[in-house]
Amino acid sequence: MNYDSQLRLQAYLDGELPEGEAREVANWLARDQEAVVLHAELRNTRKAMAGFETGITLPESREFFWSKIEREISRQEQPQREPQSVPFFARLQRFLKPASAVAGLILVGLIANQQFGLLSGTGGAENKSALDDPGAFTYHDFAAGTTLVWLTYPAQNEFADSDPTDTLQ
Amino acid sequence: MTENDHSSADDKALVRGAQRGDMVAFEELVARHRDKIYARAYSMMRNEEEAIDLSQEAWVKGWQRLKQFQGEASFGTWMTRIVINLCLDQLRKLKRHRIESIEAMTEESGGVERQMPVVTVNPTAGLERGELRQRIDKALGQLSHEHRTVMVLHEFEEMEYKEIAKTMDCSIGTVMSRLFYARRKMAALLNDLKKQD
Repeated sequence: MNYDSQLRLQAYLDGELPEGEAREVANWLARDQEAVVLHAELRNTRKAMAGFETGITLPESREFFWSKIEREISRQEQPQREPQSVPFFARLQRFLKPASAVAGLILVGLIANQQFGLLSGTGGAENKSALDDPGAFTYHDFAAGTTLVWLTYPAQNEFADSDPTDTLQ
Repeated sequence: MTENDHSSADDKALVRGAQRGDMVAFEELVARHRDKIYARAYSMMRNEEEAIDLSQEAWVKGWQRLKQFQGEASFGTWMTRIVINLCLDQLRKLKRHRIESIEAMTEESGGVERQMPVVTVNPTAGLERGELRQRIDKALGQLSHEHRTVMVLHEFEEMEYKEIAKTMDCSIGTVMSRLFYARRKMAALLNDLKKQD
């Protein structure tokens, strides 16, 4: 018996064949002992399975199981209810708080920039941090032709330890 | 509706009540169908804790989707479909993490079931209900997720091949060969258990 015939036999058992094909399989079963034995095995297994689930019961009490469901339902409904209960003013505040923080930062930046601009405008001087040494700060006065370099103390790198005169150019 | 009314009301009336937001009506529905929903989850997952969690999740989803329930099928059937889908999602997640055994791969390619000798004597004949259930339970536990799921959907949920294929997102041919393998394997396993007596 080939595999397709075996699957057809199973489909016959499950009532999945159209009437004509089902009649063909019934005739085949009447004359083929091998098919009869396989059909019986499949049928017995199907029969044994019936009613298996009826003996399985939830191992938790009605009250306990329900309390978990009820709690989960409430928990999941919570965030949906929240936006409805928030008044208009509170929602406006939520928007205004970050907006005012951003505005404040911009203002501080503008003031700082203005002060920095005054310094460079009057004396043609500039302040710089050395990129290769974050602990160093340079002041250069173009008018006086003077450059001052400050280093944090104690020094964080080997150049600062070499010679104290290195700090003044 | 009073508590007495709830316990004497039919499912349809309770569903209508629950759809209007009556939690007590829904609790009554849970009490009536919780064993069936749990049993279906247990048959598919083979793990008590997972089955409890998934059946609980199914009830929460049931409550949230209650408005969508139009009553085409019974409430019990509708809830069962929810828990089946949750179990299938969980099994797909598990499958992504597990390494397929050689046996499972051979099963998928088909043909193994043809080598199995046919069990000529019914291995479950004369067994008491409790004993039969224990053996079925043991044998089901030895099937792969895919084969067990097809068995559960066909034998317990009484789904047709076409419906199983749609639910499991595979072809009808795959459903037929998986079901055939699962049945033949079950017969062999039940026969082995009988021999151990």
